[in-house]
Amino acid sequence: MTDQEIIAQWQAQDAPLLPVLHAIHDRDGYLSDDAIRAVSKGLGIPLAELFGTVTFYHHFARSKPGHSAPRVCTGNVCSLNGGLEILEALKSEGATPMPCSGRCDDMVPVLRGDQVLVGHTADTLQHRPTPIPAPNSGGLEECVFRHIRAPQRNTLAGFRATSGYAGLEKAVTSSPADLVALITDSKLAGRGGAGFPTGLKWKAVAEASGVPKSIVCNADEGEPGCFKDRAIMDFDPHALLEGMLLAAYATGAPRGFIYLRYEYPETARSLQTAIDEAAAAGFLGENILGVSGFHFHLRIIRGAGAYICGEEGSLLNSMEGKHPFPRNRPPFPVTHGFEDLPTVVNNVETLASASHIARKGAEWYRGLGLGEHVGTKVISLSGDIQRPGNYEVPFGFSLQTLLHDWAGGPPPGRNIQAVTMAGLSGGFLAGDDLDVTLDEPCIRSKGSFLGAGGIMVFDDSRDMVQVAHDAMAFFAHESCGKCFPCRIGTQRLTERLNGLGPKKFPAWQEEVNDIGSVMKATSACGLGMAAPLVTESLLRYFPDAIELHLSPPQ
Amino acid sequence: MHQVADNTRTCTMTLGGGSVNFREGETIYEVAERHRKEVPTLCYDPRLEAFGACRLCVVEVEGIRNPVASCTTKATEGMVVRTRTPVLDKHRTTLLELVASENRNTKVDSLSGYASQEFGNLLDRYPVRAGRFAGKKSGTSNTDDKNPFILRDYENCISCYRCVRVCAEQEGDHAINVMNRGFHTQIITEFNNDLRDSSCTFCGQCVATCPTGALGDKKALRAKDTPGEIKKTRSVCPYCGVGCSVDILTKGDRVVGIHPAMDGPANEGALCVKGQYAFDFVHHPDRLTKPLIKQPDGTFREAEWDEALQKAADGFLKVREKYGNHATYGIASGRAPHEAAYTMQKFIRATYGTNYIDNCSRA
Ligand SMILES: Cc1cc2nc3c(=O)[nH]c(=O)nc-3n(C[C@H](O)[C@H](O)[C@H](O)COP(=O)(O)O)c2cc1C
Ligand code: SF4
Ligand code: SF4
Ligand code: SF4
Ligand code: FES
Ligand code: FES
Repeated sequence: MTDQEIIAQWQAQDAPLLPVLHAIHDRDGYLSDDAIRAVSKGLGIPLAELFGTVTFYHHFARSKPGHSAPRVCTGNVCSLNGGLEILEALKSEGATPMPCSGRCDDMVPVLRGDQVLVGHTADTLQHRPTPIPAPNSGGLEECVFRHIRAPQRNTLAGFRATSGYAGLEKAVTSSPADLVALITDSKLAGRGGAGFPTGLKWKAVAEASGVPKSIVCNADEGEPGCFKDRAIMDFDPHALLEGMLLAAYATGAPRGFIYLRYEYPETARSLQTAIDEAAAAGFLGENILGVSGFHFHLRIIRGAGAYICGEEGSLLNSMEGKHPFPRNRPPFPVTHGFEDLPTVVNNVETLASASHIARKGAEWYRGLGLGEHVGTKVISLSGDIQRPGNYEVPFGFSLQTLLHDWAGGPPPGRNIQAVTMAGLSGGFLAGDDLDVTLDEPCIRSKGSFLGAGGIMVFDDSRDMVQVAHDAMAFFAHESCGKCFPCRIGTQRLTERLNGLGPKKFPAWQEEVNDIGSVMKATSACGLGMAAPLVTESLLRYFPDAIELHLSPPQ
Repeated sequence: MHQVADNTRTCTMTLGGGSVNFREGETIYEVAERHRKEVPTLCYDPRLEAFGACRLCVVEVEGIRNPVASCTTKATEGMVVRTRTPVLDKHRTTLLELVASENRNTKVDSLSGYASQEFGNLLDRYPVRAGRFAGKKSGTSNTDDKNPFILRDYENCISCYRCVRVCAEQEGDHAINVMNRGFHTQIITEFNNDLRDSSCTFCGQCVATCPTGALGDKKALRAKDTPGEIKKTRSVCPYCGVGCSVDILTKGDRVVGIHPAMDGPANEGALCVKGQYAFDFVHHPDRLTKPLIKQPDGTFREAEWDEALQKAADGFLKVREKYGNHATYGIASGRAPHEAAYTMQKFIRATYGTNYIDNCSRA
């Protein structure tokens, strides 16, 4: 197809820019100046602005080999498991590094064209499906993973056979307000990191004025060490669709989008298959389930490699074809979301949970948590652990039990030195603080947070200053560059973990603390607020390692 | 520009200990500014949509854990705001130290541009420790951009994007934007070319709003080493009928540069390339200072005004005699004031009885 045909295909649709750029990028392997000119003209985006936006995304190449060149994960755990060596070995093919690409349970991912290969060395790379979550080790009742291992669950028939879409069928027999009340009553909260009560969000959108409204599923899953949304989408895609349909019914939104991270190309295809199946069976489209006026159309929008596009304001700007800086808040997406209209932005796990809650009820969901805690959380566990993978645990579950009993503990002969929380955004927990339970109040009391539930494990052979450096380098690489504290702070902290800056510990500590506190207090979004938890926790647990790093023994 | 309609509701809030009134829709910064509370800013330009990049304007709001950016946060009824506390001062100082650490140069000549001293002045106002947070510098200068007007010295750039926003929001040219992200952001034109290969109209708005002198006025900077104080004289741009207000910069008896007047009623800080940069004629050796009369051999000779005017009048009369009233067509110069344009049409209409009049700036 020519540039003009591609543009014509998308021009009249919502959120045309990313699909157009991807179509051209897939066709040519890169985005030529001429193509950028054509898109600028076709979509009416000023050329300089479009050029700037193209350069924002990690995976848009502007020269060959681009799309076909291998992109090798050098994320925090892959770099310790062959990532750097693979990158070196594939240099002659034009290989470039990429940040954690959500396959930490089955390393090392290498993206070639639209295929993910995995392996620990360059010559053992092979294509294989992503790992399916292991059966619950404690035999505990699950929500999100309840049916995920059922045969053919990722097909419409398999989904229907395990009571799929029953929640939706039940919900539409009663009013949208009843559904909002049910979700509110279940106390389900956002699983994308911020933990905002889902019922309140749906209610706000339902009550907001302005049409058409939108349901946006945040499937950007850019947080290092998180790969739970991938598992849900690969093995239980209809649960996500059902969750979105519930949100649509509750709020009256006719448009749905799944903003999917670029590094999941196979997921993009299988998810599209699920959408097609659902549409063919009448679960998407007009007057769904015979309910007059219940319309919902759903599309996948592929990201292009930017962690910040998981932040909801940035995600919405990205969808709208704007420069993906986060938005100033308030206003929030519930009133000013996609195209400044009321929009639900929910994480994959949140929406998949809603599908089970709609069927089994609020009380059931609340009862899944331990003690006073409500519900469950999927934890993505990776790094120096015998059985990495996705584990669904009740909130309030013991971290030590998860690490040692469920996941087999560290490699033989090793001890766990530290774990990350919230992927990387929560910094480290170590020492006695490993005795936490997995719930926000407990983990926040240690100065961290559970967030999206990624936990990377580092055993006692690892250099924690190096690990912290790699973590901070990630945040520096992903900082959008909008606000001063984060744009400069992530760079300065990375340098300070890399031998630059003051050589004496007290001066080093003063600088690092000052940068950290201004980032936490004044950054414009969660990235800059969370990044300094890495250095803060490093200082808390590993001051000796820092001293050693500053003045290595001669 | 952010403007609150006059008829919105009046509300009350507490600002720095005192109770103040504001109109619904105003930002905390606008209220603070009106009540003369010192709130530092770097990414703010009152003509532009608030952006929220520098975070220097953060203030404490009771009931909210983190300080909020006052430029992007609306004031609300009953809000309790503190604009200066030891914690805020510390954050602002650290932020300034961080910004200073990325720049090659924090003191630039004030001829660089209207707002070029903003950053340097803030560094003087806070107890900033020089040399803190040493590390890599940001920005790649493009000083050999082949244009005669705008210096692009991005090693002094602090990524406030005021230039990008003024170009889009005020000028509507969208000539420049931001490339890359994080510490590697860089102000560029499309494909990172020279300004003259972009849609830039050289209006100079970006130079005027740049708070660091990263964008510099090349023409004014020619006089950097000319001795003498800079004097500003308010005037009106002589070029066209819009009547943009300008401040003419002089050193001694020489015009060295032009600043747009931010409070100019017609332009609110905007100028075009002519008003901004085309002032070299003032001191140009070729500038006519006496009337010239063309001689039969085609060369010119200097004359006095009386002789020149008589010569012109004779010419007009001859044309009317020979070709009639409608053979004359009067075009007023776009650079002439209203009064002169009026006089011109009066002259043509009254003496010739023809309506053949026009103005050069109608194109
Ligand atoms: C830097 C940053 C990255 C984020 N990345 C994601 C992400 O990849 N997926 C996600 O669901 N939420 C992410 N979030 C949180 C979203 O902004 C938003 O809170 C969430 O999608 C709301 O959905 P939920 O309420 O269902 O959790 C991110 C936030 C920040 C600050
Ligand atoms: S905190 Fe970082 S990522 Fe967030 S807006 Fe600021 S610069 Fe961008
Ligand atoms: S001179 Fe004017 S048109 Fe050119 S980049 Fe600056 S603001 Fe834009
Ligand atoms: S060039 Fe000046 S106005 Fe533009 S971003 Fe840099 S410092 Fe700001
Ligand atoms: S997939 Fe490589 S670090 Fe996560
Ligand atoms: S002036 Fe408010 S963030 Fe810069």
